[in-house]
Amino acid sequence: MSRTRFICIMILFATFFTPLTYADQLADIKKKGEIIVGVLGTDEPNSFIDPATRKIVGYDVDLSEAIAKKLGVKLTLKQLSVAARIPELEQGRIDLLAASLTHNKEREAKIDFSLTTLVTGQRVMVRKDSGITSVPQLAGKKVLTVKGGTQEPNIRKAVPTADVITFETSLQAFIGLQQGKGMGYVNDEVSLFNNYGKLGDAQKDYIILPQNLSIEPLALGIRKGEAGLKKEVDDALRVLEKSGEAEKLFFKWYGPNSKVKLDKRTFKIDSDKVDG
Amino acid sequence: MGMIEVIQTYWVYFLIGQFPDGPLGGLTLTIVLAAGGLLLAFPLGFALAIARMSPWRTLSWPVTGVVYVVRGTPLLMVLFWAYFFLPSITGQKISQFSTMLGALVLFNAAYLSEIFRAGVQALPTGQFEAARSLGLSYFAALRLVVMPQVMRNMLPSLVNQFVSTIKDTSLGYIIGLSEVSFIASQINNLVLTKPTEIYLVLALAYFILCFGLSRFAFWIEQSHVRSHLSGGERSKMPRPVKRTLTEQT
Amino acid sequence: MSFNLDLLLAGTYHDWLIQGLRLSLGMAGITLLLALPLAVMVAMFRLSPVRALQWLGAMFVESIRNVPLLAHMLFWYFGAPELLPDGIKRWLYAGNIEVLSAIAALTLYTAAYMAEDIRSGIRSISNGQFEAGRSLGFSFLATMRLIILPQALRVTIPPLVSQTLNLWKNTSIATVIGVGELMYQAAKVESTAFRSAEAFAFATICYLSVSLILTGLGLLYRHRFPVRTA
Repeated sequence: MSRTRFICIMILFATFFTPLTYADQLADIKKKGEIIVGVLGTDEPNSFIDPATRKIVGYDVDLSEAIAKKLGVKLTLKQLSVAARIPELEQGRIDLLAASLTHNKEREAKIDFSLTTLVTGQRVMVRKDSGITSVPQLAGKKVLTVKGGTQEPNIRKAVPTADVITFETSLQAFIGLQQGKGMGYVNDEVSLFNNYGKLGDAQKDYIILPQNLSIEPLALGIRKGEAGLKKEVDDALRVLEKSGEAEKLFFKWYGPNSKVKLDKRTFKIDSDKVDG
Repeated sequence: MGMIEVIQTYWVYFLIGQFPDGPLGGLTLTIVLAAGGLLLAFPLGFALAIARMSPWRTLSWPVTGVVYVVRGTPLLMVLFWAYFFLPSITGQKISQFSTMLGALVLFNAAYLSEIFRAGVQALPTGQFEAARSLGLSYFAALRLVVMPQVMRNMLPSLVNQFVSTIKDTSLGYIIGLSEVSFIASQINNLVLTKPTEIYLVLALAYFILCFGLSRFAFWIEQSHVRSHLSGGERSKMPRPVKRTLTEQT
Repeated sequence: MSFNLDLLLAGTYHDWLIQGLRLSLGMAGITLLLALPLAVMVAMFRLSPVRALQWLGAMFVESIRNVPLLAHMLFWYFGAPELLPDGIKRWLYAGNIEVLSAIAALTLYTAAYMAEDIRSGIRSISNGQFEAGRSLGFSFLATMRLIILPQALRVTIPPLVSQTLNLWKNTSIATVIGVGELMYQAAKVESTAFRSAEAFAFATICYLSVSLILTGLGLLYRHRFPVRTA
C-alpha cells in the first residue's frame, strides 16, 4: 500500500465524522422538497404495517401526511425504535417525530412539541385468571412493557415493587402477556384497546384494569428551537381541527368501527401546554 | 390464520421490506448490509494488518491495542455508542443503515486484519526476503509477491467472515433497522399467534444463507488443496483463520 | 452536558448497572459450566466411529452456528417454551423465564463453537497415537480419555478461552428478551436519565476489562504451555 492511498483513507474517514452545519430546518425541508418523519411502525393503531400494501399506516401517518401536504413537500417515513425516538430527532436524522410520543415536562428540556394530537390514558391489561383487579395488586409481580417510553417510569411510580420487563416493541410485551410470561402489560389506552380488539374470541380471558396510571397527551416532536417549523406544523394541525378533518381521522382509527372502539373524542387539537 | 396463509401474506415483506414504495428491508437488506460491511472493511483491515506487521513499534503497538479493544467489546456496545452517543458530539446525521454499516466495517476491519496477518505469516518468510533481496521496497514486496499468494490462501476465511457478518447484521434489530430479524419480529407482532413457526422460518432463512456459504468456503478449500498439493503435503496447508482472539502468535 | 462520574459511583443508576454486571457475569459463568460438557459430548459424537452419531453431531453444530444468536434468543424465549405442556409452561413462566431462555440459547450457541475447537484439537493429535492406543487393546473411549484428550487439552485451551470471551460478549444480546443484564441496564439509564455517555462508558469498561483479562489468560497459558511439535 502506498502512503498516498493511506492518506486518502484517512481523509475519507475524517469527512465521514465531520459535523455538518445546517440552517433553519423549515427552509431545509422546503429546499429538499421532502420531510422525513419518524414513526414507530410497531404500535397499532398509531403507526403499523399494513400487510397488504407493505406500507406503514395509522393515525400518526395520516397527521404527517396532512402536514407534508400543507408544506407542499413529499412525505418520507422512517421507522424507529421507541428508545431511539428522541435521540433521532435531537440529532437531526429526522425532521419531525410522529411516534406515539408523550408530551411531558422532562422531555421539554430536550425537544419541542406540537399541539397535542391525542389524549390517552395509560393502563394495564391483565389475564382474568390472574385474579388481579386493581393496579396495586401488581406489587411484586412481573409486568411487561416497551423499552424507552413513559410506560416504564409510570408503572414504576404506581407500583414501585413491580418487576418491570421491557422489550423493543410494545407488541412483544403483549405477546409476553398472552403467553403468560408476565402478569400485566402496560401501554397507552388506545393501543391497549386495539390489542384487546385483536384478541377475538380470547377477549373473555383478559381485562383492562380501570385505573389510569397517568393521562398522556401525545404530540408531534420537533427539534428544540425550530420555531419556524413548529409554527407550520401547529398551523396545519389547527386547520385540520377547524375543518373537522382531525375529528374524522380520530374516528377512522379510534372510533366505534375500529378495533379501539371509542365513541367520543374528549379533546381538541388546540393546545401545546401540559401540566406537571 | 394458518402458517401457509401467514407465509402467503408476508413473504414479500420478509424478503424486501417496504421496497419499492419504501426503504429496502428484509432478507435483501441483510445481505446488502453484510456484503457492504465486509467489502468496505477491506482497506481498513489491510491498513491495520500492515500497521501491526510493520517494523516500527510506535505504529504496531497502538494498532495492536486498537484491535484488541475492538475485539474485546460486544458489537452491540459499539452500536449503542455509534447510534445514541456519537452523533450528539459530532452533529453528523447518520442513519440507522450507516450506523450499522459503520459498526460492521470497524468490527470486520479488526477481524480481517487478523485474517490478512495470518495469511501473510503462513507464507514462508523466504518469499518476502527473496523479494527484498531482489531490490523491491518493503511495500512493493508486499504488494507484488506476498499479497497475491495471501489472497488465495485467505479466500475460505473470508467467506467464513462473511457468514459471521450476516449473523452480526441481526443486531440492527435493536436499533430498529428493518433487516430480516426485525421484519420477522414485526410479522410475529401482527400475527400474534405463531411465534414458534415464525422464528423457525427466520432461523431457516439464516441457515440456508449461512450454511450454503460455509459449504462454498469448504468447497474452495478442498478444490484448492486438490489442485495445488499432493496428498502428503495437505497437512501443511494453512487452516482457515477462525474468529478467535487468543489464537494469535 | 458534562460527564458526571458521581452517577456511576453511587445512587440508583449505579445500583442498576452493578446489578446488570452481576447478572452478565453470572449468566456467562453458568453457561460456561453447562456448555463445556455438552461441547465435549458433541465433539466425541463427531469423532466417533458411528455414522449416525457423527451425523447428529454435525447437525447440531451446523444448525446452531449458521443462525445468529439473536434469532436463537427470540426463538428460545418467544417460540420454544410455547410447545411445552401447560403445567410445565406455567411453572417455568412463574420463574425467571427471561434468564433461563437466554442461558439455553447461549449454552447451545457456545457449545457448538467449543465442540468444533475441541474436535480440531483432538484431530491435531497424530492418528498414530490413536491407533497405537487401540492396538494396545484400549476401547475408543478409553483411548480418547487416557491418550488423546490429555494431549489435545494443550492445543484446545487457547481457543476455548477465546470462545469464553465470545460468550462474555454475547451475553449482551440477551437484552432483546428483557434480561436485565449489563447492556439492558445501560440502555435503561440512557432512556431514563438521558445519561448515555456515563452509562455506556461504564458498560464498555466492564466488557473490556473482562475481555482483556480473558485474553491475557489465554496468552499466559500459551506462554506457559506452548504446543509441543512432534
